[in-house]
Amino acid sequence: MSRIVGIEIRRSAAFGAALLIAVAGAIVLQATSGRWSSGWMALVMVQREYLIVLVPLTMAAGAWQSYREHRANVAELFATVPRPRALQIVPALIATGLAALVAYLVSLAAAVPRIIDTASYLPAAAFAAVAVGVLTLVVAFWLGLGLGRLRPALATAPAVAVIGFAVLAFAPQIFSSGAPAAAFFPGSGMSVFNVYDTVGGRISATQALWLVALAAAAFVLFAVRDHRFAPAALAPLVVGATLTALVMPTGDAFERAKLDPVAQQLVCTKDDGPRVCVSRANESMLREVTPKARHALELLSTTTPIVEAHEDTSTFSPKTAPAPRADTVLMNVQPDKSGHLAFPGRLELQMLTGAFGGPVRCGDSRNYTVGTVAAFFLLGREPATGLDGTEFEDPEAVQLYRDLTALPKGEADARMTAVYRASQQCRDAMAILTGGAR
Amino acid sequence: MRWLALYARSRRVPAALGAAVVGTAVSWLLATTSSDQDPVSSTVLVLTVLLLVAVATATLGGPDDSLDRTAARPWARLRAAHLVVALGCVVLLLLATETTATRFGPIGFVVRDAAGLLGLTALAAVVVGAARSWILPLGWTLLVATFPGDGTLGEALTWPVQAPGSRPATVVAAVLGVTGLVAYAFLGSRPRTSLETP
Repeated sequence: MSRIVGIEIRRSAAFGAALLIAVAGAIVLQATSGRWSSGWMALVMVQREYLIVLVPLTMAAGAWQSYREHRANVAELFATVPRPRALQIVPALIATGLAALVAYLVSLAAAVPRIIDTASYLPAAAFAAVAVGVLTLVVAFWLGLGLGRLRPALATAPAVAVIGFAVLAFAPQIFSSGAPAAAFFPGSGMSVFNVYDTVGGRISATQALWLVALAAAAFVLFAVRDHRFAPAALAPLVVGATLTALVMPTGDAFERAKLDPVAQQLVCTKDDGPRVCVSRANESMLREVTPKARHALELLSTTTPIVEAHEDTSTFSPKTAPAPRADTVLMNVQPDKSGHLAFPGRLELQMLTGAFGGPVRCGDSRNYTVGTVAAFFLLGREPATGLDGTEFEDPEAVQLYRDLTALPKGEADARMTAVYRASQQCRDAMAILTGGAR
Repeated sequence: MRWLALYARSRRVPAALGAAVVGTAVSWLLATTSSDQDPVSSTVLVLTVLLLVAVATATLGGPDDSLDRTAARPWARLRAAHLVVALGCVVLLLLATETTATRFGPIGFVVRDAAGLLGLTALAAVVVGAARSWILPLGWTLLVATFPGDGTLGEALTWPVQAPGSRPATVVAAVLGVTGLVAYAFLGSRPRTSLETP
């Protein structure tokens, strides 16, 4: 069998197709490295998203292979070989499947060197996501083979690709909820919003089930000798679609599975200094974050009870937030394009502003100006805009800062402590800062 | 006239025309039923133009190009006319939708993309043969349909999806169109040596 597969690889379009798909896959990944620099899970999810380009191209390769076969006029010759029909077509399926597998993995491997130094957290879900991606590409190749055999014309290959692209781009929008779109289109719903995003095990299993049904349909299309029996390919599609719709996670279960609680768990410093914790997903940044976070903790220690710094692991969809703790300040840890801490100069300012401006749960009653004034007071410099200061000019904050520094140190510190307490209770601390009320 | 009919038949023009009409109709039908955008989104428009150009690709080579060339005919003029007529067909088909509520336009966008993609296909047909000429235009267009770039280089590289006013996109499309036309007119598709190796 392996000898026949070897011959099939050499005589078919499998090798050239694998090369083209791998190059296209590598181009899209390298062109968007900022989207997946945060870790392994982000990389495999973004690669899955780009199946929208790779699947049409792979289908075109399959259809082209069938057209070539048709043009070569060898069907009659092959039919004379005294072998069962299945044994005649299986080597072609193995050869093209191998090509799709290698192409997907090569474009993934080309992306690995960029994040191998910075990415650390590698959950099992990442392997499942890659496996489903590979399976999608393999099935796309087989579907292309089947469709090309159904209509062996030169224009079939590009037409199949254009139609495939249109289906992948527009069909998921038909579904009002994300669950069926993700189950039937393994490339959709893979946008990475934060570093804790994942692909749930059940959704991966559902996608694999649907892909197996598609593979069966492709097999029927490719194997039937008489085109009149091609509609038989609808049978596995109907069965597969029904099963997929029955087992796919929906509603809350689907939403919750998008987040990885293990990635959100905190990993802390183990030495004697004040404790600094980041999420498991961002573990590689702990060393960069620690000195800056400890400096901010030192500044906070005189006026507040804060002794620890934790990464802010809040998410919007689904909504999660770390439990509020009076002795902890939250920090916003984001990776940049190369996987290192983004805006390192702004981390301390953000921590101090967050501590005095009020926690996220306070919503609209947070006061950014108060936070800014208090933060710059602790940093010992006037509020400034620009690289390591605030993002927009705030003349009111500058005036308040000058007023605060003009006070005796004891009075200023007392106001700072009161501002901190008020902001933690979601009360507006502006009056306290200006000395109107305590 | 008889000669022209035979030429059209050898290039499978009737089948291509039928496929182009059906393709445009289906695309228009889907755009009409699925959204009330007017004109249609640039992605839909680019995909439709790409589909029509792909259909035209099938007519760029005959069953036996080497045999074709032995005929004493003004091939350069004929091939140039072939490309221009193909461009005309693509533009006319999409122009026809201007009379409906779901328009495939603006027309400047259609002409630019159709000319650029046809030119690129013709150029590829000269280099790698008509059978493989669809690969580069298809791959390029699908890649850029996912990320429209900006800046002069970005707009030039992602010319098929740029707004009609984009100068770099127009320049790239014009260069591809003219180069493809000239190369294909003078050289023709890379000939196949025999029927058995497409």
